[in-house]
Amino acid sequence: MGLAGLLAQRLLQSFVVVVGVTLVSFATLHLGGDPTYLYVGEHASSEEIAATRAKLGFDQPLRMQYLRFARGLVHGDLGDSLTFHEPALEIVLERFPATLELTCAAMLIALALGIPLGVFAALHRGRPLDGGIMLLALVGQSIPSFWLGIMLVLFVGLAWHWLPISGRVPLLDPLFAGDWRTAWNNLPQALPFLVMPSVTIAVFSLARTARLVRSSLLEVLSQDYVRTARAKGLSEWRVIVHHALRNAWLPVLTMLGLEFGFLLSGVVVVETVFSWPGVGRLVFNAINHRDIPLVEAAVIVFSLLFVSVNLLVDLLYMRLDPRIRLT
Amino acid sequence: MNRLTGRQRRGIGTSMRSFALLGTMYALGLAVSCAAAIAAETPRQVLRIGMAVDADSLDPSEADAQDTMSIAHLLWGTLYKTSSDGKLDPYFALSAKLSDDGRAYTFKLRPDLKCENGAPLTARDVAYSFDHPADPKFRFTGHAAGFVLPALRYTGTRIDDPLTVTIEFAAYNPIALGLIAEMFIFCRAPYEAMTPEYAASHASATGPYRLVEWRHDDRVVLERNKSYALPAPAYDGVVFRVIPEASTRTAELLAGNLDIMSGVVADQIEAINHSGTAKVASVASIRRIYVGFNQNPKFAATPGGRAIKDPRVRRALQFAVDVPTLCDALLRTPCARMATMIFPPNDKTGIRADPYDPDRAEALLDQAGYKRGADGVRFALTLQTPRGRYPNDVNIALAIAQYLSDIGVKTTVDVLDFASVFVPLVRQHVAGPLFLMGSSGASWSALYDLSDFPAADGGANYTDFADPEFFAGWRQIDQTHDPAEQAKVVRGMMNVFHERGTWLNLYFLPDLYGVSDKISWRPRADELIALD
Repeated sequence: MGLAGLLAQRLLQSFVVVVGVTLVSFATLHLGGDPTYLYVGEHASSEEIAATRAKLGFDQPLRMQYLRFARGLVHGDLGDSLTFHEPALEIVLERFPATLELTCAAMLIALALGIPLGVFAALHRGRPLDGGIMLLALVGQSIPSFWLGIMLVLFVGLAWHWLPISGRVPLLDPLFAGDWRTAWNNLPQALPFLVMPSVTIAVFSLARTARLVRSSLLEVLSQDYVRTARAKGLSEWRVIVHHALRNAWLPVLTMLGLEFGFLLSGVVVVETVFSWPGVGRLVFNAINHRDIPLVEAAVIVFSLLFVSVNLLVDLLYMRLDPRIRLT
Repeated sequence: MNRLTGRQRRGIGTSMRSFALLGTMYALGLAVSCAAAIAAETPRQVLRIGMAVDADSLDPSEADAQDTMSIAHLLWGTLYKTSSDGKLDPYFALSAKLSDDGRAYTFKLRPDLKCENGAPLTARDVAYSFDHPADPKFRFTGHAAGFVLPALRYTGTRIDDPLTVTIEFAAYNPIALGLIAEMFIFCRAPYEAMTPEYAASHASATGPYRLVEWRHDDRVVLERNKSYALPAPAYDGVVFRVIPEASTRTAELLAGNLDIMSGVVADQIEAINHSGTAKVASVASIRRIYVGFNQNPKFAATPGGRAIKDPRVRRALQFAVDVPTLCDALLRTPCARMATMIFPPNDKTGIRADPYDPDRAEALLDQAGYKRGADGVRFALTLQTPRGRYPNDVNIALAIAQYLSDIGVKTTVDVLDFASVFVPLVRQHVAGPLFLMGSSGASWSALYDLSDFPAADGGANYTDFADPEFFAGWRQIDQTHDPAEQAKVVRGMMNVFHERGTWLNLYFLPDLYGVSDKISWRPRADELIALD
């Protein structure tokens, strides 16, 4: 199968996944009962409740509600948020840059620190440095992000005044709007706000990346071709980077696609702690308010992003290892 | 085992140095930008308020949530407004006159009112402020369309002259003026030019402030409305920051980044009071916290459900709960004890809260024929509670359950998700048979506080209370327009309500705010963050 065929197959699979996800989320949101009661006043009469139910469309059979939603989806219209009374997709896309910013920063930190730590641990296997790094990795995987976030707020933000406690200065939003000058001007103010939340999210992934890189590299370092490379007199740097790491990348790369999804799902708590106005918090509130159009819009955006990232990972996989043909 | 040679280590050392250099550069850049961000302080004239949730809509026809109302009252005026001590004072209106038949209020408007764009605000705009939210084609569900206009039984407006407008409703309503005071007045021209979707996040003000920016889930920024002709507000601007996590909000207050924060949680009271930079300000709010005894026939088949149909049993359970101790131990602040459902400053009934008297409770239960069995249990009940809706709600419910179990009423607590489970049960009148609930009243009218019980089949009569003597009171109130006579009737209704033990009265929820020492501000009972 050629690349075009593979792409077509993957896109079809992605479409099925996205539709499946919307169907499941739609059904589970409705399993919780009739949301109308959340959109009427405390003193509403049964007539007013019935009128509001009809206004919101919840008087229709579930099947009809889903069909209406699907029809809207085809036309790019996911309906208006029940809470904000604005188009749901617009609300999600408005918050999306904040979440993407946080996720990418966390991913960057996890990779920038996790890979070198994993490499050092592998190269110092069995020594105190290896033990120390693995101990740190274990701690990193054990700390709940909520607790870590609060500790950073209390110490780094409140007690030591090193970083701002909460909030955000937009960075990607002006960039997406084509206003790179504003984005550039915002950068010095935006970075301090980004540090604590992204570190909080990154810690778990960082630890996992370090462990994975270490084990993957250890396996590769014992291979014959590494010995051969050293025997040829190549510098250790070249042996590690060009021969060992390149092959150790494959499992790491597989994990990165999944890690992106993990980081996306991890933003809910961190966005709450650091008052970061992203999609995670939006969805959390929307679920609490049973704002079904808004939850659906967010689910679609998240699933599309997740599917796209994993598609990209598949393609990179093929590029890195020509032996692999995804069928 | 793979051991590294010296040359191998040197190779790694080179890469380590590269990483270290990069790291140092990053850290330096970060330090410089941190200093810049921290140095960029908000000007002093701007009041910074931290709240837990974002506004829901900045369309005056659609705004609904309590935090939104604090913002909305700064953006738009009202014909009358409620003062902090619960009085209705003229605001955009100079006067109000009730018609002889009691079905219309005529308002004389101030002549100096202006829209944000500088155009004069006239009776036509006031009429539009009522007609627009009432227009069924827009399907508004907010406070105006969902509560005020139906409660008022609004029928229309009449423009008598450019500065005189009459608001008409279907029947006499003793709390009509207070309800009208909850309607925001906005200008017709700018709102006719907006779609409802656009209006949801773009405000055209008539009040003391105008909207500068609303960054969803982050902040709402207001600045002084230059067209506002009434006395200028105290601050040049107000920033409402959305900080959902209470401990982060507290940290921002203590760091000096907020002037006021709402929703202080009990375990942070001491930290704030001992910070040296802020204090906790507490007020008994208009929100009544009670346990409802559900009389719905659904529960009649259960022993507990049958038992609580007897008023003596309900009174007994009231005597069994030590409310002041609940407040001290679980809310860590004294509470205004709830004697009746009427907010204390407006409560002229003379009814006192039942004291904690477990012996009397047991005696009442014995009299009612519910003696302890061999296992010490008289009957069993379930107490349903939401989680996280009211401060420490689950623990309050658990403590109540223990008090009731102590007098032989074995009580099990059923913790429910508020939005998906608890609210639908309550609204369908099938929560319980006991349920922990908060219900909002008003600071300006005793009659408003009774509005949970407009009729035996009223939507907010969640306990299906159906005493005919109580509901006969409404007919008497409708027949007289004299407030003194109405107060007498209310006293009678409240006596019935109290003697029947309709609710297990707990307390008026104490609202806790963190207030910076740099400002002088007092909280209001009606849960509005007002700057008067």
